[in-house]
Amino acid sequence: MTIALPLVILWFGALIVALLDGTRKPVGYFSVIVLAGALAATSVLGVDVYRNGTREMAIGGWDPGVGIALRVDLLGIVFAVVSLVVLLTALWFEVSRDVKARIFPALVLFMGLGLTGLFFTGDAFNFYVFFEISMVAAYVMASYGETPRQLRAALIFIVVNLLGSVLFLVGIAAIYHNTGWLDMKRVATQMPLLHENPAILTATIVFVAFSIKLGLFPFHFWLPAVYTGTRPAVAAILSGALANIGTYGLIRFGADIFPRELQAGAPILIALGAISIVYGGIQAIARHTPNEVLAYSAIGQVGYILIALSIGGEAGYAAAIVYAVVNALNKALLFLAASLRGWIAGAAFAIGAFSVAGVPPAGGFFGKMAVFQTSLDDNQPWIVALVFVGGALSFVYMFQLYRARFWVNEEADEATTRGALGPVVVIALAIVTIGVFPEPLLALAQQASALLPERAP
Amino acid sequence: MTLLISLTIAVIFGSGAYLLLKRDLIRVITGMILLGNAANLFIMAAGLRQGSAPIVPSDRDLSDPLVQAMTLTAIVISFGVATLVLSVVYRVYDSHHSVDLRRLGSAEAVQASLDDQLSPKERGARAEAEESTESEPATDGAVGRVRP
Repeated sequence: MTIALPLVILWFGALIVALLDGTRKPVGYFSVIVLAGALAATSVLGVDVYRNGTREMAIGGWDPGVGIALRVDLLGIVFAVVSLVVLLTALWFEVSRDVKARIFPALVLFMGLGLTGLFFTGDAFNFYVFFEISMVAAYVMASYGETPRQLRAALIFIVVNLLGSVLFLVGIAAIYHNTGWLDMKRVATQMPLLHENPAILTATIVFVAFSIKLGLFPFHFWLPAVYTGTRPAVAAILSGALANIGTYGLIRFGADIFPRELQAGAPILIALGAISIVYGGIQAIARHTPNEVLAYSAIGQVGYILIALSIGGEAGYAAAIVYAVVNALNKALLFLAASLRGWIAGAAFAIGAFSVAGVPPAGGFFGKMAVFQTSLDDNQPWIVALVFVGGALSFVYMFQLYRARFWVNEEADEATTRGALGPVVVIALAIVTIGVFPEPLLALAQQASALLPERAP
Repeated sequence: MTLLISLTIAVIFGSGAYLLLKRDLIRVITGMILLGNAANLFIMAAGLRQGSAPIVPSDRDLSDPLVQAMTLTAIVISFGVATLVLSVVYRVYDSHHSVDLRRLGSAEAVQASLDDQLSPKERGARAEAEESTESEPATDGAVGRVRP
């Protein structure tokens, strides 16, 4: 099977759906099926990659090294599958309620295309192109609903993220200038030969670009305004699927291309991660509306990923991957469930809340434990304390939110449509499954991080 | 030559960053377009310095075709995004009757204080209403027009 199959499915699906009226139910369900097909193709490819190792393909039948490469390794597959799962649930959720704009299903498919392409590509400039495809879909999506508030949110989102994209483009130009390659594997081999100063500068630019996407502490200012303004399905997509660009980018570029610079900058990155955790947690406790609490929670959660990544080593990278996967599912579940009513939605939300706080049997427990383990192995007791404090903070704000959202006006139950509960329940079950059978995910993350270069002693 | 190009890029980037901080949305967009163009120039300037040009045959003096291809792609992307942003600005103007960020900010502040003042029960009820009718509370759209 060709590795371009998921991309082909999404591309043609998106083109067809873009021509149709997406507000009609059959079109909506057709796009859900297209997305499910792409997810199935990606999963089959994932099994193949897991068994036989990294797959590579040069586009257009060129010789390897001349043509632009698609390169699928475990890291990319894990992120592609998680992002597609989040997109699928969010789209299913929105279709079963009511799609408000005819372009919405096509946008979700285009974003799926951009994300999958970005996780599959082996070329730094193609990474930027796919990145822009998904960002443009996200720009339009942020204004979905078209109330004044959503338009303001979209404007902030576009201006800030466009700045991030420009920085990333500059970073890629700098990589090309310094190494003479765009193929990420070759860049990774050339980077260590480079003098320290240009390498550090390039690494910093790329780091800032991804941090803006991710909403890490000093670059987080746009995030609450955007998540508060948008609709639940869009917020779920932005924080559960689009934010994966930031995480994947940090792992791919940080661990693969700039391992030396990552190690040099580790103390600063750990400090930023720590500030993110505490700042996000405290701000989240002070907020009332669900989307605002979840937005600040998102800022806090990425802090863990950054810390795991900066501690590094195989265990650290694996912890970052596990945490990123669980976090994406958590955020998708919480944004969707918080907009529903009734005991089923409440139970699903509680699972998400347990997961964010890191309480078993939810999947978040293993994410937190992986970070815990890594910092213990690295002999950094204060990070262990920090993870603990962060968990306590998230416990407080998640249950404040649970109480405000699900304990009052129980009588307002009729707004919940039965269909919208389906995706929420599915994703909640997925999180519990990860919590009960964590071994597959842990093994996958372990293998994926084993492919990344060892860090120098 | 290198200095000249660097200075040009720096001036364009600086102007873009300066405009980005303005209150008028049209200037903000202009700033973004300038930033994008500074990045495009930067790619051109980042042309090959290591190894030989990625083109066959490469025995003569050739300029690097790869940066030109990349710049072209980047120009198309930034052009498309600029169009998109302008249409969003138009929609903002349409609903707020202003492209001044202060106006938009005050509309946001009013919205936030509305969110805060409501008791949890009212907030829940309003959220239900928003879900079912999909209309923004009347105050929000009106604020931009009535208040200075």
